[in-house]
Amino acid sequence: MNVDLIPAVDPAGLPAPPGVFHLLLVVTFVLHMLFLNLSLGGSLLAAVAHRLSGGRVDDYRAVLARRLQAVNTYGISLTITTGVAPLLFVQVLYGQLMYPATILLGWVWFALLILILVGYGAAWAAKPAADGAGRARGGWLLIAAVMFLAIAVLQVMVHLAKVQPELWPRLASSPWLPLGDPTFLPRLLHFVLAAVAFTALVVAAHAVRRVAAGVDPEPNRAIAAFAWRWALWTTALQVVDGFLLLLLLPRPVLLGLMRGGAATMVPLTLAILLGVGLLMMLARVTEPAARARLVTGTLAATVATVAVMAVTRHQIRELYLDPVADRLVAAVDPQWFNLTLFVVLLLAGLAVLAAVVRKVLTSPATGGEAA
Amino acid sequence: MDYPIWDVAMGGGVLMGVVAVVHVVVAHFAIGGGLLVVVTETLAARRGDAELRELARRSSLVLVLLSTVVGAATGVGIWVVAGLISPGAISALIHTYVWGWAMEWVFFLVEIVTALVYAGTWGRISRRSHLVVGWVYLVSAYASLVVINGIITFMLTPGRWLDSGDFWDGFFNPTYWPSLVLRTGIALVLAAVVMVFVAVRAGEPARRRQLRFLGGWLLAGGLLSYGGYRWWEASLPEAVKALFLGDSPLLATLADTRHLLLWALAAALGLTVVMLLAAPKLARTATAALLALTVVGFFGAYERLREGVRKPYLVRDHLFSNGLRVADIARLNRDGLAATSGWVARVSGEEAATVGREIFRVQCSSCHTLDGYQAIRPLLPSDPDMIAGPLFALKEMGEAWVAAPSGGTVDPARLDYPFMPPLVGTDDEVLALAEYLATLTTGGSR
Repeated sequence: MNVDLIPAVDPAGLPAPPGVFHLLLVVTFVLHMLFLNLSLGGSLLAAVAHRLSGGRVDDYRAVLARRLQAVNTYGISLTITTGVAPLLFVQVLYGQLMYPATILLGWVWFALLILILVGYGAAWAAKPAADGAGRARGGWLLIAAVMFLAIAVLQVMVHLAKVQPELWPRLASSPWLPLGDPTFLPRLLHFVLAAVAFTALVVAAHAVRRVAAGVDPEPNRAIAAFAWRWALWTTALQVVDGFLLLLLLPRPVLLGLMRGGAATMVPLTLAILLGVGLLMMLARVTEPAARARLVTGTLAATVATVAVMAVTRHQIRELYLDPVADRLVAAVDPQWFNLTLFVVLLLAGLAVLAAVVRKVLTSPATGGEAA
Repeated sequence: MDYPIWDVAMGGGVLMGVVAVVHVVVAHFAIGGGLLVVVTETLAARRGDAELRELARRSSLVLVLLSTVVGAATGVGIWVVAGLISPGAISALIHTYVWGWAMEWVFFLVEIVTALVYAGTWGRISRRSHLVVGWVYLVSAYASLVVINGIITFMLTPGRWLDSGDFWDGFFNPTYWPSLVLRTGIALVLAAVVMVFVAVRAGEPARRRQLRFLGGWLLAGGLLSYGGYRWWEASLPEAVKALFLGDSPLLATLADTRHLLLWALAAALGLTVVMLLAAPKLARTATAALLALTVVGFFGAYERLREGVRKPYLVRDHLFSNGLRVADIARLNRDGLAATSGWVARVSGEEAATVGREIFRVQCSSCHTLDGYQAIRPLLPSDPDMIAGPLFALKEMGEAWVAAPSGGTVDPARLDYPFMPPLVGTDDEVLALAEYLATLTTGGSR
């Protein structure tokens, strides 16, 4: 491995023990993934549902596409916002690897900005025609889906370039090199399938709640069943893809994972059990509207799977970097007061947001206010 | 200085400038808009003024679309571009101020969520609840400015941080409060200008009332900006003032930028008085665009000036704009760049011009392109033998920093090239750079 190309550790040191940043990185990444799954999965599912609706505005799949589009105009913003924190912490821990990798990818990495703007713009542009003819709106939905899919491709490329410094000498002249990595496709599929499965479950849970509340029961029942099938098949593929990805990992990484003891085997085993368990829960139900509690439970299990998978993903990154780990050790110069202040502000901020959401849900407009 | 280099023909600085200008304008608008829209809704509720409420409602939709789409995406864009063009510098800043950015992120998260809720719940939740959401948005948006202002001003005037290394010494630095006042004024002015575009479409007599109302805010924001700017100027170190103030400023272009700034602000205030306060009938979309142009001109000039007077530093007296640390000058001159950077070492066995090209990329390309922005080619003497002299003068300049006490400043008047970082490396590396630059002259390769 060509470790000479890895820049020196930043002399400023870490303003907290590394474990704090590892924890914050994983926690904020999970939060980001929940919204990211909705943006990527939502834009893909919306484009497919719209296509399947055949342009019939009252078809339940057209209703679903509109619903997902409406969520996306807000969800994408939250995806970007929640992405800032893991981007910050990943730079603190892995800046020595991230900066060279992204610099060598150059315009490919810069394209992220363009893709986000076009994808987000397309999601908003799809809105005005929501009640009109299907063609233009479908075009914008497709553009948004393609943009977010391209972002997924790009993120996987950057990740692979970051954890494999041995690629760097060739990366400058061949920025598409990570596409040839044996794990590229299964990683990308893992990303995309998880996003679609998660979004489908959120959609199903929402539709089931509407059926229970007596709101448009027929289309919502159909939407729930449609989304449930998507969740089932994408999860089935995900389980297969997950094992494939595991087997295609570089041998030292795979062995490191297996020999890591409880620290690595517990999250990995839990992730596999949750994945298989999810598949069983999904396969048991053919009429989700009639099994509201199971639907909610499946969604909760999916969120737990995302969290556990994030831990395993983080550990796999560490194993990839094991040969250069000594180059990444930074001095620690803790800023305890600032760390405490951040944690207090974070908890206060989340409490404020919870209070705002509660206020919105419990104080509907009445009389003239609703006009 | 040990990172690879991203070659951008137009210059990384230009790219950063484009992304950053869009972001700061939208971000300040989002902060001022939060204040102005929510206060407008509050006043409308007190007065029972439905048309004023409609002004707030329509403005909030523009506010959310701009701040959550363009603002958020370009915010990430700044991180992306900064990491691409100044990795060492952004790494140093992040390691020092990660908790500041993390706190700012919390406020940003609350700001974005409440902005989306605020814009999406007009007429759908009780008016009182809607106002509460709006005020939470206002407070969080302003708090994000309070935090980020500390990091931005730290870069120009790190103050006691240079000695103590303490987070709060750098945060509450000499230009913190003036800058906060100035940026608060700018945020108000930008928000009021955008709302003028909404107000000119209202029917009479609401249109006239709303334009006067916005005129008052614009005037207040403009005067606050002026006061903040003057205070900011007065708070700068003498060495910085010498760059653009006085009878013979060291950088004439920055002095011109300052004049543009003051005239643009004067024009904005004049237009406000005439078009919004005295004769609102003159306010049309076209004249509002003229007003917006003067305001953006003022703000753009300030940002240009702030960036310009920091030259050649990224963090004054600590870190140069090309990622070179003041503390590393002596070591790099002794050991050479190849001993530090694997990217330079990779070509060290090759011919001198190839090594020189890599040294150019590492030390010069953050400011200079070959033929685009701040092009190096036209700056080179036609005689290739004349190139090495100025390069060694640039290297010798480093001695001024090596000799300066820790945390001390270097008087730019003492330097041959006061707006450039010193050149570092062994003499052989400097000669290799000269060799490479010679290949760029009209004489071509030697």
